[in-house]
Amino acid sequence: MLGLRTSFKSSLRALNCQSRLISSSAVSAKSTYKTPDFGDYVKEKNDADKSRSYAYFMVGSLGLLSSAGAKSTVETFITSMSASADVLAMAKVEVNLAAIPEGKNVVVKWQGKPVFIRHRTQGEIDEANSVDMSALKDPQTDADRVKNPEWLIMLGICTHLGCVPIGEAGDFGGWFCPCHGSHYDISGRIRRGPAPLNLEIPEYEFDDQKLIVG
Amino acid sequence: MAFSTIYNVFFKRNSVFVGTVFAASFVFQAAFDTSVTSWYEAHNKGKMWKDVKLKLSQAGEDDEDDDDE
Repeated sequence: MLGLRTSFKSSLRALNCQSRLISSSAVSAKSTYKTPDFGDYVKEKNDADKSRSYAYFMVGSLGLLSSAGAKSTVETFITSMSASADVLAMAKVEVNLAAIPEGKNVVVKWQGKPVFIRHRTQGEIDEANSVDMSALKDPQTDADRVKNPEWLIMLGICTHLGCVPIGEAGDFGGWFCPCHGSHYDISGRIRRGPAPLNLEIPEYEFDDQKLIVG
Repeated sequence: MAFSTIYNVFFKRNSVFVGTVFAASFVFQAAFDTSVTSWYEAHNKGKMWKDVKLKLSQAGEDDEDDDDE
């Protein structure tokens, strides 16, 4: 029994030794290629730091040029998607407000749609502010609909089916749509009829005596 | 000595290396753009619209000014 165990151990050791012998004796199994002597071709006073820095500098310069090129390529594509100058010019309309007397309506065309401009009198402004919110189908204060209470600017398209309402008509002193009989008040809010919403307010701004819609 | 400093500052960490490259590309683009534009304008001096416009407004004060005033 004992003899069997020792023989087993020794055979293991022998196996172990043998494998170690193989791995450590592998020098002979390594490549037989003889590295040539480059001594004649190597620079005499070679500065390893300098050549390394030079190589990195060149890699970085290439990266710089290609990233600049990639950036401008992407930029070109993105700017080509933005609206051109003629489109931008057509997208706005300027109106001289000095030519519109108080209590008058003007209709201008903006992007193919009519825009109502009304120079409201003080009485009309007071009337628009005095309306009770609970009486409105689409409750909105007059202050929310105008930037300057004197000027009411809105899209002249009935929110029902897109007809153009008639100014200074209807039961509420504002606009009246002849198609299906929607009545809008002096703030352009729907008061009676099938239209669900108040007349839409476009983007606009005042520039001294000029109004810019768009 | 100096080259090892350059290596340690700029090239040793890849994040610093790439960051330097990107930052330098922004500066390079602006510099390249202004230099090319200034060269182009110097090369075409007298033919640019801004020069011609100036000349036109001086020469044709009476009849050719129909789009400005």
